[in-house]
Amino acid sequence: MTVDRTVAIAGLGITELGKVYGRSARSLAAEAVRLAVADAGLRLGDVDGLLVSNGLAGKVGVELAGALGLGQLGLLADINAFGATAGVMVAQAAQAVAAGAATTVACVFADAPLAPKRSAGEAWGGAGRKPRTLTGLAGWQLASGGVNPNILYALAARRHMQRYGTTSEQLAAIAVAQRAWAAGNPLAAMREPLTVADHQASRPIAEPLRLLDCCLVSNGGVAVVVTSAERARALRHPPVHVHGYAQAHEPRRMHAGSPWGLVTPAARSGPAAMRMAGIGVGDVDICELYDCYTYTVLVTLEDYGFCEKGDGGAFVGDGRLAPDGKLACNTGGGQLSSYYMWGMTPLSEAVIQARGAGGARQAPRNDIVLVSGNGGILEHHSTLVLSPHPRTSSGGLG
Amino acid sequence: MSDGTTGPPPTGVLAVGAFTAGAFPLVARDDASAAFFDAAARGELLVRRCLDSGDVLGPEARTCPGCGSARLEPFVVSGRGVLVTWAVVHQVPVSVLRGAVPYVTAVVELAEGPWLLVRLVGTDGSDLRAGQPVSARFVQPHQPDEGSGADSGEAPGEVLPVFAPGEPAAVSGQGES
Ligand SMILES: [Zn+2]
Repeated sequence: MTVDRTVAIAGLGITELGKVYGRSARSLAAEAVRLAVADAGLRLGDVDGLLVSNGLAGKVGVELAGALGLGQLGLLADINAFGATAGVMVAQAAQAVAAGAATTVACVFADAPLAPKRSAGEAWGGAGRKPRTLTGLAGWQLASGGVNPNILYALAARRHMQRYGTTSEQLAAIAVAQRAWAAGNPLAAMREPLTVADHQASRPIAEPLRLLDCCLVSNGGVAVVVTSAERARALRHPPVHVHGYAQAHEPRRMHAGSPWGLVTPAARSGPAAMRMAGIGVGDVDICELYDCYTYTVLVTLEDYGFCEKGDGGAFVGDGRLAPDGKLACNTGGGQLSSYYMWGMTPLSEAVIQARGAGGARQAPRNDIVLVSGNGGILEHHSTLVLSPHPRTSSGGLG
Repeated sequence: MSDGTTGPPPTGVLAVGAFTAGAFPLVARDDASAAFFDAAARGELLVRRCLDSGDVLGPEARTCPGCGSARLEPFVVSGRGVLVTWAVVHQVPVSVLRGAVPYVTAVVELAEGPWLLVRLVGTDGSDLRAGQPVSARFVQPHQPDEGSGADSGEAPGEVLPVFAPGEPAAVSGQGES
């Protein structure tokens, strides 16, 4: 008889989100952990593992454990795989629990890049930054102008458009669908209905990307508690079982033949996580996909195999991702319309949906929830397969 | 359009009059980039080539991704390539580019293999397609006068490699809008 080494997410903590001023990222992180632990029906003293992830402000580290008064930890680390971090943390926590290194691991992300008088663009280290003296090859590269994520993702989206005929209106369909989902999410910052025409009329940031192709910027913190599936069953909420996880990384290759922009590491991470879970894309009821930009959702759907490479535009263009569409996707509004907590945005909504706690926005079926994280410029990827049901098939990790 | 400059312009360097003041920030050389900027002033694009595999790499390469070698040599490329992708930047991304927007930034694939992230001049971005020929140009940045006649003693920035649609410019003075 093998030991049940499967794990589950037992707690979710979400602080106040958005224009939350006057609080440090560390304070938000501490609150998110407290909320997640209480949500699970546990006490802080039960936590014996802590994984910390930073956003733009980069001000939270392993000292958070001391600030929370934790002791006797079996796992403590500051992890960064950019937007892929949340999935990487859950995978790391799952492996630690399965290996017996820790029993109860809190994974937290917090960030506070917004200040009252700064625009979201400035929070990105944008136009408000002091002029730099430009020097050397790095100076030439800055002068060349491909200097921030907006521009680099625009280059990726353009490459897809040129190769496959993808259109801005098809990207708009993603933003419109997510806004419709956001209308049912009390946590969402942007809940007014959106049309394709609104998207097309929004100002160009770096064409082909417009303002409504780009994510929000938010202050706040989100944490989850990972523990054994067996233990989770005795806790306050129905467990959200972790059936599969994977990650894949591929630093941008700047050479002839590079697939950059057209194919992302999701093409390896997604199938690997689904293989571990013993499912295929046809089994997925809900997708919670990392959406720093509309295009990220489109290319991830292709790479995961929901449609053929190059067909993503047509796949999303018919309203398929909207609340009344065929594939429930980014049901909380995502980072485009709800809140920007990096990989914790799709993960938190996945937990809510898997619990059946989505209220007005609860998807009709939630047996399998697929979660993605994406970081760098389409260079880092993580995938989770979650379910309200235990993994009963012969597979498992035993 | 080399009017106003003193002495003969370097081969293939676009005259300042072809661009709005501030369109290109001033860039100073350092030891590591001296040869790159010397080449640019001659109208040459200097990158690196792997001594072990012969792969041609970008100018900033430290290691050959193909074979792992760190033995790289300077290498002058043809300046010919094709357009991989481009973006038309409207929102100022960093303050030194405030005078540049809207501008076109692009990934170009050199005939020798490497991809470069470059400024694309001579186009507003509306007439481009992936795969079309592009070629190197060289610009001399200048900044708007700060008022008083004295030139504030600031050294002019280095000549910067950029790209434009089409085949390489035959000789100097091919200023485009
Ligand atoms: Zn080599």
